[in-house]
Amino acid sequence: MSAELPTVEELATQLQAVSGADEVDVDAALLQLSDVDSLDLMEWLYGFQNQYPHIPADESLFKDIDDSTTLRTVHQRLLDLVPAAG
Amino acid sequence: MSGFEIAGWGISVPDQVLTSTELGDRLGVGEDWIVSRCGINERRIVEDGQTTASLAIEAGRRALDKAGLTGADIAHLIVATATPEQLSPATSAFVHTALGIAGSAHDVNSECSGFVYSLVTAAGLMMMDPRPILIVGSDTHSLTVNPEDRDLSILVGDGAGAVVLTPSPDTWIRAWNLGADGSKHDSLKVVAGGSRMPTTAETVAQGLHYAKINGNEIYLNAVRFTVRTVKQTLEQAKVTVDDVDHIIPHQANIRIINSILSHTGLDPAKLVTNLDRYGNTASASIPIALAEALDGGRINNGDLVLLAGFGAGMTWGSVLLEWGGVST
Repeated sequence: MSAELPTVEELATQLQAVSGADEVDVDAALLQLSDVDSLDLMEWLYGFQNQYPHIPADESLFKDIDDSTTLRTVHQRLLDLVPAAG
Repeated sequence: MSGFEIAGWGISVPDQVLTSTELGDRLGVGEDWIVSRCGINERRIVEDGQTTASLAIEAGRRALDKAGLTGADIAHLIVATATPEQLSPATSAFVHTALGIAGSAHDVNSECSGFVYSLVTAAGLMMMDPRPILIVGSDTHSLTVNPEDRDLSILVGDGAGAVVLTPSPDTWIRAWNLGADGSKHDSLKVVAGGSRMPTTAETVAQGLHYAKINGNEIYLNAVRFTVRTVKQTLEQAKVTVDDVDHIIPHQANIRIINSILSHTGLDPAKLVTNLDRYGNTASASIPIALAEALDGGRINNGDLVLLAGFGAGMTWGSVLLEWGGVST
């Protein structure tokens, strides 16, 4: 199932598209990305939910977001959700 | 059985303007941050003596004047609000007496979907009792948010909008859809002041009488449910997004509106918005935008006008109007 998930680099490209950011560093803290805010993350998540309806990703992906949370962290959380989706 | 026409409309907004520059200074953020976050440059805020009912009365009176009617002609009054004049009785009681309404009066609290819910309710009433109906959406959310709550303070504005429906053999509603998901009741709430948590000194000290929002949940569900209701209504009407002439969504946040347009395929050039000037006026946002579009000569007979809203609860709904109606 994990093969169906986008790579972390693909997630970055998706987030760039919805936010208009010039670049999204997958290892930078999400809170420090100057052109990405929480509504951009929700817009990205809405698109993800539509594209991968079998993966139970929701806003809790970002629930405990802090300065250590990167896009790579989020990607790992998505990977962790895949077995639960059956 | 009767259809209706919209024979009058009116709005009322406070004179007091709160700009995003002033608000940003108070909250310790820049104007640019506020505008980029929600698209709101300024909002109207009630002054001492102005209330949900006083705004509703003024908007209602203007709608009656435009229709050439008086309160004595109105068989039913519906006031949509989530910021009532007081807990009891309903806000419609205050509007009823001030406007000399002859008939019934009740409130609808579907939060920001209130006007759409009220319009559909009124259409049903009109079928059973073909006499004039006054619908008013009025809210004063500036009084319900903690002034230090950045997430909500930047959004809310106060105002009222009203329409008068009169019986007609023609059909104005081409299609409609209403929905709700009560499991989402935690996304935006005021927890104190009701039967679950009566007001006490402690609830006030804890600020539980203020509205609280989970902005992420609201964004996701607002987009999801509004996209769904719009698609269902257009499908029911057997029209496409290209057939819609004017889109009047709940004026919540330009980011949400743009997302809805993007995910439905509705043309941004057909969007009616005044969010930049009034902010989110909740139940009033759709009737205010509709009234301004009409006064601006933007809507003509034969046009398809799509109203779409969502609100806390969560609730959502949409109505496709064919302006001028079609003979049935």
